[in-house]
Amino acid sequence: MRYLIEHETILDYPQTVREHHIELRLAPRSDRHQQVLSCSIETEPAAELATYTDYFGNRVDYFCVIPPHTRLITRLRSDVETVKENPFSFEAVQPGEEQEWLHKAIRNAPPMNDFVLHRSLLTPTAMKLAEATSHAFPRREKERPVLESLQELLAWVPTVMEYRSGSTEVHGSLTTAVAQGGGVCQDFAHLFITVARSWEIPARYVMGYLDPGISQAGDTLTTHAWAEALVPGAGWIGFDATHNLLTNDHYVAVAVGRDSYDAAPQRGSFKGEASGAQPAVSVTMQEQQ
Amino acid sequence: MYNAGMQGSKPRTPYHEFYADDFTPRDHYRLLWNHIKATGNSALEAKAHESQLALQAEGVTFTVYGESEEGIERIWPFDLIPRIITAAEWVKIESGLKQRVRALNLFLGDLYGEQRIIKDGVIPPELIYQGRDFRREIVGIVPPGGIYTHVSGIDIIRDEKGEFLILEDNLRTPSGVSYMIENRVIERRILPEFFSKYRVRRVEHYPSLLLAALRSLSPRGKDTAEIVLLTPGIYNSAYFEHTFLAKEMGVELAEGRDMVVVNDVVYLKTTTGLQRVDVIYRRIDDDFLDPLVFRSDSSLGIAGVINAWRAGNVAIVNAPGSGIADDKAVYPYVPDIIRYYLGQEPILQNVPTFQMTNAADREYVFDNMERMVIKAVSESGGYGMLMGPSSTPASRKEFMGLVQENPRNYIAQPVVYLSRHVCYMDGELEARHLDLRPYVIYGEDIEVVPGGLTRVALRKGSLVVNSSQGGGSKDTWVLAE
Repeated sequence: MRYLIEHETILDYPQTVREHHIELRLAPRSDRHQQVLSCSIETEPAAELATYTDYFGNRVDYFCVIPPHTRLITRLRSDVETVKENPFSFEAVQPGEEQEWLHKAIRNAPPMNDFVLHRSLLTPTAMKLAEATSHAFPRREKERPVLESLQELLAWVPTVMEYRSGSTEVHGSLTTAVAQGGGVCQDFAHLFITVARSWEIPARYVMGYLDPGISQAGDTLTTHAWAEALVPGAGWIGFDATHNLLTNDHYVAVAVGRDSYDAAPQRGSFKGEASGAQPAVSVTMQEQQ
Repeated sequence: MYNAGMQGSKPRTPYHEFYADDFTPRDHYRLLWNHIKATGNSALEAKAHESQLALQAEGVTFTVYGESEEGIERIWPFDLIPRIITAAEWVKIESGLKQRVRALNLFLGDLYGEQRIIKDGVIPPELIYQGRDFRREIVGIVPPGGIYTHVSGIDIIRDEKGEFLILEDNLRTPSGVSYMIENRVIERRILPEFFSKYRVRRVEHYPSLLLAALRSLSPRGKDTAEIVLLTPGIYNSAYFEHTFLAKEMGVELAEGRDMVVVNDVVYLKTTTGLQRVDVIYRRIDDDFLDPLVFRSDSSLGIAGVINAWRAGNVAIVNAPGSGIADDKAVYPYVPDIIRYYLGQEPILQNVPTFQMTNAADREYVFDNMERMVIKAVSESGGYGMLMGPSSTPASRKEFMGLVQENPRNYIAQPVVYLSRHVCYMDGELEARHLDLRPYVIYGEDIEVVPGGLTRVALRKGSLVVNSSQGGGSKDTWVLAE
């Protein structure tokens, strides 16, 4: 598929702010699933953008607006081509050897440890979450193939939570979402990640876009979130727990991290009397011919 | 991990720095001892009084934080009887510290780069990835010369056999060096005749050594180096030191709000406009350094400074991320770190350490808590610590709970009876425990300033020397060959 994505964020402040520094993780990544044909970011007031690649491999665009201002707008426009593939077409590793495959993958790339060891309010210890919410969490039988276990997990997450737009706060605790039985896509992704990590399978958070034709969010399109888990023989495979789907060519991935905090699309710091503004975000994703 | 010599150990006698036995001083103290005997206590009393007046006049203070939020400012407690280290003893300390600091810097470069030491199985990955001070935000950035810790203050103690052991590596924003210098200034005034008799090596050039190291890091070259000392402000316990060092080096003392980053260049706001900054000697922790990257609620730092650093437009001293190398859970691995990077045996040994992540170690520590010191791995200054011998059943129970809750966060060490020294206390000469914090500067080369801050536990029998916990200090004399 080919998509034109536009993502605009408007920050309005009741008083002037100054010395405003912003980091954006908005540029879609390029990998074997998707190719970025064009990508541009503009800001209002106009600023000089610089870029670097962060620890998780995300492209970060950053800039500053020093003089006093009350409004800051960022606009991304990107043309991305996604590739349709069969997520099951890989050379599977024998179930008995999968654990060793994962251990080796982690040993060869120590940063992979983060995707197993990281715990936060967003991705807590599974046992504590289960206790706090009195849910029976699925256990993994070691002789079952990893992918099969993960698919069961994918189907299990929506039985615990239902999708409720605006029901939880950005970077809010996962325990709250599970306890109230409802959340948004971040919560679904975090729950999937939390359980996968308790099985010692590396799992990470993905922020990106989903074709509005499929998305539960419908008209109020914003960014979407899902999880990726490391599957022996295949590498990272995308799991969208909100829709109980393996990700496909309707998904455009932007940034990854240990949890939603690492992959936040926009982060800023400013000086001034105003407290933080509620960002007005509008996203469009149009299929291109 | 460590067990030898622990079971059924009888009470041990601490090493005495001053006396060889009950009646005779060690050779290098004889001159001083003769003088004290000849002049008597009234002369000492006069000297003690003189030193008090001098400290007050100079305004040498430190701040203690207690139950209340507000700190209390106190006059620096100084004991006039110097601690003397022979040239031979110093050779070992100096070479041991150089070796250690060199290895720790190679370790940091590796952790924030290829992570060979983890891949080779020398350091368990959990240790790093669950460490609070491993800063993912700086992975891949190589600081100038690959050096992270330009200033370290490494705590050394002396065990019952008189062996020097490393107690702690302080690689973040170690403090106390101003007191090392002030102690010397006072001591020169009250015991002037001994300095030439003893051939005491100088420590007063520390600020110029530090300044040279800072200059050498300037991205615009050392001849155009605008240097700023970044302080969290007047409420910080080390604010006295910040003003002292800024004045001695002739550099600007500034807070985060006095600076601004514009397109990856750091500027100081001055009355005549923005002035470019090349080197930041920061005395605030990583957490507060850059609200864009680290703690977003911090107003002490400079937004954008990490990106300026990544772009190579400013040097930050010590480099962000250094704290993972002095994490107390990493400490037990430092001997292996030295072997791994330098292929040498450590010259100075560690204090034996139990890791609370190890079940057998943990059980042993719980069974012997009265003989242990338990420390939180990311705390310093004597905070977050249980001293076994002076602990209560309630505090032991509390710590047992804390350790079980988060074992990665704690280590334990058998109590080492720190060496003692005579101190002049209220008209009497009395023995008190002490340690030593020498300062190491890593600029174009590694230099250990011959001396350091000797900290004294002023309460009788106490083994806690931190000034925040009621410790005092002595001038430290390292003798020339």
